[in-house]
Amino acid sequence: MDNGKLKIGIYELTGCAGDALLILDCEKELIDIFKAVDIQSFLMAKSDNIDGELDVALVEGSVTTEREIEELKDIRERSKFVVAIGLCATAGGIQARFTDPEDWEENFKKVYGKTEMTHTKAVQSKPIDAYIPVDYYLPGCPISKEQFLNFFNRAVKGSLPEKSQNPVCVTCKYNENDCLLKRGQLCLGPVTADGCGSVCINHNIPCFGCWGPLDVANYTSEFYLLQDMGYSIDDIKNRMANYSGTKIKDFFAKIKKEAK
Amino acid sequence: MKTKRIRVDHLARVEGNGGIAATIDGKVVTDVKFSIYEGPRLIERLTVGRTPEEDVSIAPRICAICTLSHKNAVLRAMESALSVKVPPKVVLARELMHMGEMIESHSLHVYYLALPDYVGFPNAIAMASKYDLEVKIALEMKEFANHIMKVMSGRFIHGENPVIGGFGKYPSRNELLFIKSRAIQFMPFVLKTVNLFCGLDYPDNPEDDTLYACCEPGNDKYGFWGDEILLSNGEKFGRDDYKKLTNEFIVPHSYAKRSRYQGEPYSVGALARVNNLGDRLENKAGEMYKKYFNDRWKRNPLFHNAAQAVEILYCFERIPVLVDKMLQISEDPPIVDYSVKDGKGTGLVEAPRGLLIHHYDIADGLVSHVDIVTPTAQNSEDIERYCHIAVQSLLDQGQEDKIRDRMELVVRAFDPCISCSAHMAEIRKAPEADWQKKLAAIKEKGAPLYVGVGSPDRTDDAAGIELALDLKKLESVDVALESDLMERKDSDQRVDNQTFIFLDALDFKEEPGKITLLPLHYVLNNSILSHRFQPLLALITDHKQLRNAYVLGIQPERITEGKKISASVRSAMAKIRDQITN
Repeated sequence: MDNGKLKIGIYELTGCAGDALLILDCEKELIDIFKAVDIQSFLMAKSDNIDGELDVALVEGSVTTEREIEELKDIRERSKFVVAIGLCATAGGIQARFTDPEDWEENFKKVYGKTEMTHTKAVQSKPIDAYIPVDYYLPGCPISKEQFLNFFNRAVKGSLPEKSQNPVCVTCKYNENDCLLKRGQLCLGPVTADGCGSVCINHNIPCFGCWGPLDVANYTSEFYLLQDMGYSIDDIKNRMANYSGTKIKDFFAKIKKEAK
Repeated sequence: MKTKRIRVDHLARVEGNGGIAATIDGKVVTDVKFSIYEGPRLIERLTVGRTPEEDVSIAPRICAICTLSHKNAVLRAMESALSVKVPPKVVLARELMHMGEMIESHSLHVYYLALPDYVGFPNAIAMASKYDLEVKIALEMKEFANHIMKVMSGRFIHGENPVIGGFGKYPSRNELLFIKSRAIQFMPFVLKTVNLFCGLDYPDNPEDDTLYACCEPGNDKYGFWGDEILLSNGEKFGRDDYKKLTNEFIVPHSYAKRSRYQGEPYSVGALARVNNLGDRLENKAGEMYKKYFNDRWKRNPLFHNAAQAVEILYCFERIPVLVDKMLQISEDPPIVDYSVKDGKGTGLVEAPRGLLIHHYDIADGLVSHVDIVTPTAQNSEDIERYCHIAVQSLLDQGQEDKIRDRMELVVRAFDPCISCSAHMAEIRKAPEADWQKKLAAIKEKGAPLYVGVGSPDRTDDAAGIELALDLKKLESVDVALESDLMERKDSDQRVDNQTFIFLDALDFKEEPGKITLLPLHYVLNNSILSHRFQPLLALITDHKQLRNAYVLGIQPERITEGKKISASVRSAMAKIRDQITN
């Protein structure tokens, strides 16, 4: 079907399907989205899916089986532009906690025992850019409607939104919240990429860091600040690692570098 | 040799990534496998070593659709472990939040994932051409439900507002009143939804009895959580004994764990709740239940969609009540103070698709053990069983072309949430001559016990008995008749670890004299059920042994009164004899 519309595919690897669901949650815009582009594949929404050439592929979820590696490579080959949507695709997700191969193997055995899996071999959870080049990232656990629609509207017109360089704190200030760090709470706002609208702090809940680390943030300062507040190194490291996936290695490397 | 493989590569319109595959041997379904292709996430491991607060944030990330059910389950478990008692307003607010998720999930499922199957469209958007109003209002209903979830939990998906001991922030009076008034406005459409989905013409295949499990909400009320598990046979047990029900085990074809109760599959979900608790429904939901509920709901998984519609109505009637009760409590209670101590806690919650169990052990301030049992993991075994029944009857009726769609319909009815741990329906046909290979493989594992069954006075039905008597003359083969088997059991001769192979005439709709070797389990499930196996089952009581029993069957030419075995069956008997003694 060549009607001049962008051919789009939405794919889900391993994750909670929250990012695809969030696209379905754009109720008011959904029918317009389906009209504005040619959605070739979207398993959660339709059954007449075609795996052909695509202009844009949106990939959610992290890679955790060999079957998914093949699927992902096939998507890349068929697509002009690949977007990682959601924390699992951008950073490996919460399931990328075990970054060390031996650690992962041990924990895998603790869950599945010695049962030999017949359907597809499991691999350590990694973000999709561990296997293919990625053209654009929409982070978040889950992604935000605003960021997605912003991206979508630009993409339909053939351009892209600029990458945000702000931490959660910037939005949080606009929202006139009290600073939770000042109240002694372990808040990751200063080192987390924004996009959520500082939703947790708006509800008096400290930031858990679910947008993943912001690359321009001052990690060292946050680390020492939390330590001064009385949090243990393990507490801080765990918190920072929960939503940072495999990117945590860069994150800690940066702290080390800055500490020197 | 007919080897055929029909395959649908992606089970669409389910949440997540998985598939269903049926293997067909001649005219008999020998195997059905429901696989989860979703990779392993090791959630039960990565939540270990974290603080209870961190796990309240991480664990609900298992699933986006049921995120708030997971939130409620982890909160109930943690609060039980830490002996935190929350004030009434917190309970009301959590229930209101849960109503949002129920309506969201059910309305998405019935209108967007299931209805297209029944009205012949590939997806809901295409369906809009004919069902414009339904699609539009269903979207609005889902949007409203999302709004409730957002207001209560902080955002559409993975909201962090509910925490141990309460909420970060309560919605304002105006927000609550808005929710109440919208809920009332939706009522006419909600009633229409119930009439639509309860009145759909659900196929009568598959139908079979099963056991239903759900939470016991207590106080003779309908509801979505409780501290006990209730089974449709009337049994009840406390939350800490949940393993009596679930008994999780792992199958090699899936990364989602499985559950059976006393060796038998069971079902959870909206249909289980309506079956177990439906007579407690009040008001309009109670009226609708009385109007539509019948015995087919107890046996047919496709009625899941009807049950979901009834529950949507229950939720819409419950919302104004919850809002009113919340508004009567003027003060917003602060988050309950607590200190982290060692302990164990189990939380039971009815997620939209069924019983969800979270269990945590806490030691030295950190979580030391986690066990999470999801509804789809519990339903997997029944999904396979019902698909098996469905495929077999379609084969019997010669409607092979319908198999693929029917399997997808059955899987979808269960509303599986694959991230709880599906895209593909596959029908695999095994070559019929395989019985020799299969027999050789069984023999390799250890000498099996051959048991001759049948009626000596009914022509070809005597084949099994005559074959056994013939084999009995040979010392090298362990063989018995049905009557011998009773004696063996009485004499306490252990046969526990031995593989049973029943020799019998078996009508599997093939040419006379054809031979097949099938797992007993499947013969029993099949519509071509061989009645004689029933008494024998008393001997094979445990599940492991049932899995280890087979039927070596010969297609009879005729079964009438008489002593004469037909020539085709005789020649098959000789073939089997050669193969066994070989």
